[in-house]
Amino acid sequence: MKITQIAGFLGCGKTTLVLKLSRILADDGKRKVALVVNEIGEIPVDGKVIEESGMLVKDIGGGCICCEVAVSFGKTLVTLYKKFNPEHVLVEPTGVAIPHQVKTAAKMGMRDAKISIGAAIVLFDATRPAELLDMDMLGRLVVNQVEDADILAISKVDAVDEAVLDDVAQKVREHNDRAEMLNLSSFTGVGLDRLVEIILNWEG
Amino acid sequence: MGPMNTLSYTEKGCYTDHGVSGYGVAVRLIRKEPISEVLLKEIAEEMMLSIAKKCKELGARAIGHIKSHIMTEAGTIKADTIGVSHGAYSTGHLEHPVMDIYMAINSIVQGIPEEAVKAATLEGLHEVAEREDLTVVKEKEHTYFDEFDFMTTKQEYLRQLEEQFSDNDTEDDD
Repeated sequence: MKITQIAGFLGCGKTTLVLKLSRILADDGKRKVALVVNEIGEIPVDGKVIEESGMLVKDIGGGCICCEVAVSFGKTLVTLYKKFNPEHVLVEPTGVAIPHQVKTAAKMGMRDAKISIGAAIVLFDATRPAELLDMDMLGRLVVNQVEDADILAISKVDAVDEAVLDDVAQKVREHNDRAEMLNLSSFTGVGLDRLVEIILNWEG
Repeated sequence: MGPMNTLSYTEKGCYTDHGVSGYGVAVRLIRKEPISEVLLKEIAEEMMLSIAKKCKELGARAIGHIKSHIMTEAGTIKADTIGVSHGAYSTGHLEHPVMDIYMAINSIVQGIPEEAVKAATLEGLHEVAEREDLTVVKEKEHTYFDEFDFMTTKQEYLRQLEEQFSDNDTEDDD
């Protein structure tokens, strides 16, 4: 059971991407895919939206899975493994979660389930780079997320022009020169095939 | 040291030090005149923008997201915004106009405390509801709307939604 997280700040398009990826990965039932969705704010809107798509989804509320409810996350993975044994679990952490802490929390399930840790795919919203990287605002949090990325996906690329996109890529790259970077649009489908390839073949 | 010992557990979340606060509420709204899909989407978007605007007025530095999920006997609608300047978006479909609406709202904001996020969320919700002739008949914090079966009959579906409001003692009937 491979655990792949789709991380990134609030509003960057995680839920839309998770829905698209899960359908592609499931490949009309050829693969078993489960989703774990975590939201702060107590009302799991995203989980409900995904559930309506017919996918197996586990909501974790009451806090963030990378810190406050990390133990619940580990237990949820074990339960999924024992009851459903999916080949792939896509995890949508809160938009404020720190990816390496999500990985650490996922490893808690390794004692009771055969789990491998997939890529930390971190989305960065191309439509609001100044807001996200402003160090006086969210900057430190978002930079932490970018630094932790195995894969950096610049999201909503259909909503910005090429010059803006180049500038965003350059700014993001300053904080992580190790991760593969790709352009993503869940709306047009740009980047989806590459992400599926990464999820399937990632070996850490 | 095993992975179980590598995380430190505190009452604070990883986001607390960055000034991110969240608030969630579920409401039941009714209207004397049926609401079409188009109008309901407009109202939901208007609510999202109103909440975002009020958060900024209360001192929010950035809007994480204001999201909503609306459930009715005729289908579901989702509406959200990541800030007034970004606009609001909605998706979903209603098979026919409705008078009875169950709505969950989740507001995540940076730069103001949870009490301020709560105030902005409730004010935005109530102001737009009143303007659009919607009556808030029930309101409850932290209601999950998750203990129901999407495949059941419409009557049973609504009964289960209604039950969510009477599960514990935090109910606030108007």
